[in-house]
Amino acid sequence: MDVHDRMEQPIISLQAAPCPAPTQRARKRARRRKAGCCGRGFAVGQPIGSAGAWRAPCRFRSPFPSQFCARRRSGFVHMEPAEAEFLAEKELVTIVPSFSMDRVHLIGGDLGPFNPGLPVEVPVWLAINLKQRQKCRLIPPEWMDVEKLEEIRDQERKEDTFTPMPSPYYMELTKLLLNYASDNIPKADEIRTLVKDTWDTRMAKLRLSADSFVRQQEAHAKLDNLTLMEINTIGTFLTQALDHMYKLRTNLQPSGSTESQDF
Amino acid sequence: MFVTDCRREFYDVIVSQRVLLLVASDVDALCACKILQALFQCDHVQYTLVPVSGWQELETAFLEHKDQFKYFVFINCGANVDLLEILQPEEDTYFFVCDSHRPINIVNVYNETQIKLLVKQDDDLDVPAYDDIFRDEEDEEEESENESDGSEPSDKRRRFEEEVIERTMKRRQRREWEARRREILFDYEQYEYHGTSSAMVMFDLAWIMSKDLNDMLWWAIVGLTDQWVQDKITQMKYVTDIGILQRHVSRHNHRNEDEENSLSIDCMRIAFEYDLRLALYQHWSLYESLCNTSYTSANLKLWSVQGQKRLQEFLADMGLPLKQVKQKFNSMDMSLKENLREMIEESANKFGMRDLRVQTFSIHFGFKNKFLASDIVYATASLMESIEKEGPETTNFIKALDSLSRGNLDKLHQGLDLAKKQLRAIQQTVASCICTNLVISQGPFLYCSLMEGTPDVKLFSKPISLCLLSKYLLKSFVCSTKNKRCKLLPLIMAAPMDVEQGTVIMVGIPPETESSDKKNFFGRAFEKAADSTNSRTLHNHFDMSNCFRLSSALLRSGAFWFLVLEAEDQML
Repeated sequence: MDVHDRMEQPIISLQAAPCPAPTQRARKRARRRKAGCCGRGFAVGQPIGSAGAWRAPCRFRSPFPSQFCARRRSGFVHMEPAEAEFLAEKELVTIVPSFSMDRVHLIGGDLGPFNPGLPVEVPVWLAINLKQRQKCRLIPPEWMDVEKLEEIRDQERKEDTFTPMPSPYYMELTKLLLNYASDNIPKADEIRTLVKDTWDTRMAKLRLSADSFVRQQEAHAKLDNLTLMEINTIGTFLTQALDHMYKLRTNLQPSGSTESQDF
Repeated sequence: MFVTDCRREFYDVIVSQRVLLLVASDVDALCACKILQALFQCDHVQYTLVPVSGWQELETAFLEHKDQFKYFVFINCGANVDLLEILQPEEDTYFFVCDSHRPINIVNVYNETQIKLLVKQDDDLDVPAYDDIFRDEEDEEEESENESDGSEPSDKRRRFEEEVIERTMKRRQRREWEARRREILFDYEQYEYHGTSSAMVMFDLAWIMSKDLNDMLWWAIVGLTDQWVQDKITQMKYVTDIGILQRHVSRHNHRNEDEENSLSIDCMRIAFEYDLRLALYQHWSLYESLCNTSYTSANLKLWSVQGQKRLQEFLADMGLPLKQVKQKFNSMDMSLKENLREMIEESANKFGMRDLRVQTFSIHFGFKNKFLASDIVYATASLMESIEKEGPETTNFIKALDSLSRGNLDKLHQGLDLAKKQLRAIQQTVASCICTNLVISQGPFLYCSLMEGTPDVKLFSKPISLCLLSKYLLKSFVCSTKNKRCKLLPLIMAAPMDVEQGTVIMVGIPPETESSDKKNFFGRAFEKAADSTNSRTLHNHFDMSNCFRLSSALLRSGAFWFLVLEAEDQML
């Protein structure tokens, strides 16, 4: 365990609206390590000799297999998109029910009394179920509006960094609401296109920043305003790729304790 | 008894119960079943679905399930026989019957407790009055009581004479009444026809409960179109029902005109079309469709060389190059497709085909998917009767049921391919029958029998395909023959059903006239003939007038025909 604590590793700190626990741990570790680390990350890719491998300035080696290393080192837990959607379904949305029912007490909270024609806020999972059973009409959230989304998209295109999104689950909510309740949402096709444009811009920025992170051999990166779905999309790949690169680099270090073969 | 308020007397009763759905094997029943299933899913009603293709299966299913269920719903089966007698249910079992077969059995009409008919009252039902059919048993008891009254001996003889006179008069009245009853029943039950489609009845129920969706409306349209494709209803009734559905369509689909608030492209839209009656033409090439639709092929007489020439003339008259017409419809030039309908109608009028366009609806969702109602009918019917045996017998039914949902487009396309094969097979069989003069005139009717070695004969061992084949054959024969008398004759068609068991399936089609009321008398004729010859026939199909099974040996013997002729003479 000692070896790992002293190891210098590139830390990716992603600051998102709801902070998932793993990255918090990663940040804590980073703060601890900054005191005694060499501050070097990876070398920029230049093939050396015939091997064509990365030159790694640090002399750390890991006895553990790489996948396990990725999880341990980055502390990043990969989530399926379905899991992110599941978490998104807890968000509240307004519906207009066509039935009446008294208040329901569930473990996660109360579901308010339902009266026909009166709007009430319910979690998305219930709204979708009621909609499929033709018992309600969905009202799109405020941000799901063509002008607002156009503004957001243009803002995103102008800025170099990530702008705050109207909802931490904007992608999942768009997909759910447009799949099941597109007849309640005006101009559904345009909304879909606008959200997709915003998503594409943000993913492009994410890729660009990951690329520059690697090239400039940074040890620490901080990205604000990322949503869970975007983190999941790039998270595993980035951390595993960096781990691989790290392994390759460390294995090329001329270390005193190992003897290289004579050619 | 007839149900007046569908919602209170039917739906509210079963919404808290477990229900058994017995669904017949035709497209109209499938659509009605889909609508009812959607309603059940909204309200979490527990149900079991049992597809039945004949009376035997119905009885078996009932016997299997009668201990577990108290509420049974029959879709497109059960109205034209005495259900209580056949099924012998318990006292607390309730039957809900939603059937388009007519005439409705009088026991079903007048039973107050157990049988509820979900039928629209304004259908021309002509049910005989209660008093004409049923006589109270109490009248007879009174008679016998009077007889046993004691009285004084002096008046006894006079009273005795009076009583004798009374009794004979009563008996005579009773005999007259019974004779009249037999006549009324005979008139009522001799012709079989079809009423409003069950899918439309179910859609009405959904509408009354304000739970109707575009999807359900589409299924109601497909159910109605199925009745038209299979020639079960008159043209007038079809047009009236289309008018009713058109109101619902505009109610659900008016948002499409408004540019501001138009719906997403993925939402389903239904549109009214005055479109060509060519089968599957948008999923096929125009040429193939012209060759394989009965209307055009019969009028142009496409089984003969001259007919082929006429077809070429027809296409030339419209200005459509052969190369364009023979490729897939979607790849035809846009300039040709723009005014296609009007052009075809004009040319068709010149060639004697005045009804080439028909009022129908089309559905449209996503960017690629556009279907006419008749396309769906052909696809679903051929899926349901496909002869590939994979898995248990109900797989075909379930596949056909699934293909009606919008999410199962691959099954629908499979159905379209099977339908194309079926239509081609029908046309080839019709052409060969007419060219080889297989249609024989047997006096009061025409007769045609398919030999076992005929190509694609296995396709015609199922009732719906065989009926389609027979109808097309009759139409083509009427166009091909010069004998004026033969044009007015009905047709009896026989095809091998199961080669190993040596059974044959037979169908009777009423004569082809301009204004036929689609009433079929063959059911009774076949039954009578079967009874008289004591032959082993199986009237299994719900359409009594059509298919029934008999052994091929019986067919070859002359006795059967003789009796059918006799029975028919009695009818006409």
